[in-house]
Amino acid sequence: MNTDWFVVLSALLFSTGALGILLRRSPMVILLCLELMLNAGNLALVAFSRMVGNAQGQVFAVIVMVIAACEVVVGLGLIVAIFRRRLPLDVDDLRELRG
Amino acid sequence: MSFNEPHIDYAGISPLIALTVGLCVVLLSAVFRPLRRTAPLLTMVALGATAGLLVWQWDDPKTLITGALRLDDLAISISLIAILTAAFCVLLSLRERATEEAGSGEYHALLLGSVLGMTMLAQATNLVTFFVALETLSIPLYILCATNLRREGSLESGLKYLIVGSIGSATLLYGMAFLYGGTGSTNFAGIAHGIARSGLDGDPLILIGIAMAAVGLAFKTSIAPFHQWTPDVYQGAPTPITSFMAVATKAAAFAVFLRFFDVALGSQLDSWQPALAALAAISILVGNVGALGQDSLKRLMGWSGVAQAGYMLGSVVVASEAGTSALVFYLAAYAFMNLAAFAVIVARERETVFGDDIRGVRGLGAERPLLAWPLTISMLALAGLPATTGFIGKLYLIEALVEGDYTWLAVFIAVGTMISLAYYLRVVAAMWMRPEGERAAGARPAIAGASPEADPVDPEAGRRWSLAGPALLAAAATVFFGIVPQPLVDFAEHAGRSLFG
Repeated sequence: MNTDWFVVLSALLFSTGALGILLRRSPMVILLCLELMLNAGNLALVAFSRMVGNAQGQVFAVIVMVIAACEVVVGLGLIVAIFRRRLPLDVDDLRELRG
Repeated sequence: MSFNEPHIDYAGISPLIALTVGLCVVLLSAVFRPLRRTAPLLTMVALGATAGLLVWQWDDPKTLITGALRLDDLAISISLIAILTAAFCVLLSLRERATEEAGSGEYHALLLGSVLGMTMLAQATNLVTFFVALETLSIPLYILCATNLRREGSLESGLKYLIVGSIGSATLLYGMAFLYGGTGSTNFAGIAHGIARSGLDGDPLILIGIAMAAVGLAFKTSIAPFHQWTPDVYQGAPTPITSFMAVATKAAAFAVFLRFFDVALGSQLDSWQPALAALAAISILVGNVGALGQDSLKRLMGWSGVAQAGYMLGSVVVASEAGTSALVFYLAAYAFMNLAAFAVIVARERETVFGDDIRGVRGLGAERPLLAWPLTISMLALAGLPATTGFIGKLYLIEALVEGDYTWLAVFIAVGTMISLAYYLRVVAAMWMRPEGERAAGARPAIAGASPEADPVDPEAGRRWSLAGPALLAAAATVFFGIVPQPLVDFAEHAGRSLFG
């Protein structure tokens, strides 16, 4: 199969994630969209790795998965902390800092 | 089949080992009751040991872990700036509310984790180490921003930083994937070689990769138009963390900016130079205009940081030895100037009920000259007045830009400096010109109405050595290296030579 299609799919995933971050207001959904963007990068890495013919891209993708997991853990932790303070879980309502 | 043991240069990776061991020890110190108070001390020991190991390897460049890291003078100088900033941050964090809320051990362990990421990032010469180091630096910072759990703004800044920072990382990763696809290597040297070998000049894969990597790095270094998070996060985070973030993150991110663009993408100079120059110009304008009329000192420092990032990006644009030296000099100067200012802001936050508002420093000149002088020197140095490191740094930058045929960007720096005088001098004026009585009269009603969320007022904070000491030290360094710049210039030129020599 041609590598082009993998790259097109990854571009679609990346744009979906970016759009989701811009349009959705719940921090949970935004975290999901961030995952989508990172995984679009992973898909591109794996596809290019096959095209180029060495394993560096595959190794990179596995490492990125670990990092993405760390990021989500921190994000969820922050969401729990915000929830405990009974603050609104909506990024448009978190507006103490502005100006 | 025989086993070939890999060659491990333990001396080269010893700074990273020292930081990792320090991190584990500090984290464990939180578990043992008698050791609970020692976390700041242990952190200082770890930072000192790392700095010693780095200085030991000064002027002895080596490539580590099969080309994934390169420990040269650029990496060492940037790591030393990050370690100095972290040491200041530990001092400013003594008696800080956020430290108690999060637990002293955890707080300092996260700080060390972030320094570990910075030290690694300054050495990274491979896309994988680059990305891993960047995240090792960022993820602890997201948590540290939110450590003042009782303040809504702190949690909000943590979440904002996490979201925006992760968008930056994801964009950077996507750009890296394309660079790998185009050249077939994750190594910086391999990428440069791949571009040269296959004649990929102007290849769409490479161009997309360069553009997305530049955007991702611009998010991290708070370069306009990717800066919107900066003032909010700076204001919401606990102030010692803001000072660390402002200086050390910028230093480490600019080090990798230099290495990535000048080493891996050096042959593609024509395609990225105009783009980065435009970003620098936009950043200088947006940062300086945004800082006008800010009443929160931390927001003001945030906007000023955007403008300063624009100045520094100029030295990446010219891609020369002079540019690299100028950048390292400016980063060192920036560290001193910012640390002096933030130490005073922390002191006033604890002494008054105004928090980081500009009202908090009114009449400071008459009331507390020992705090007023460091802030005055820092503001004047940031504005680039002579006899301070800020002036020498800007001179050095402008010289590098003119040499590299980017005179118009040098003009932008000069214009930006003029605009910046308006808001830096406003702080100085507030300190020295307002009468004492006005401030005291305004303070009383606010105390009565203080919310339970507000931090307790400690009227003696500015007299404690842990705040006055760093402020005076950083201010003294700002003036000293402004009058006798030679030692700092030598330091910066070593770094410049290591990348281009």
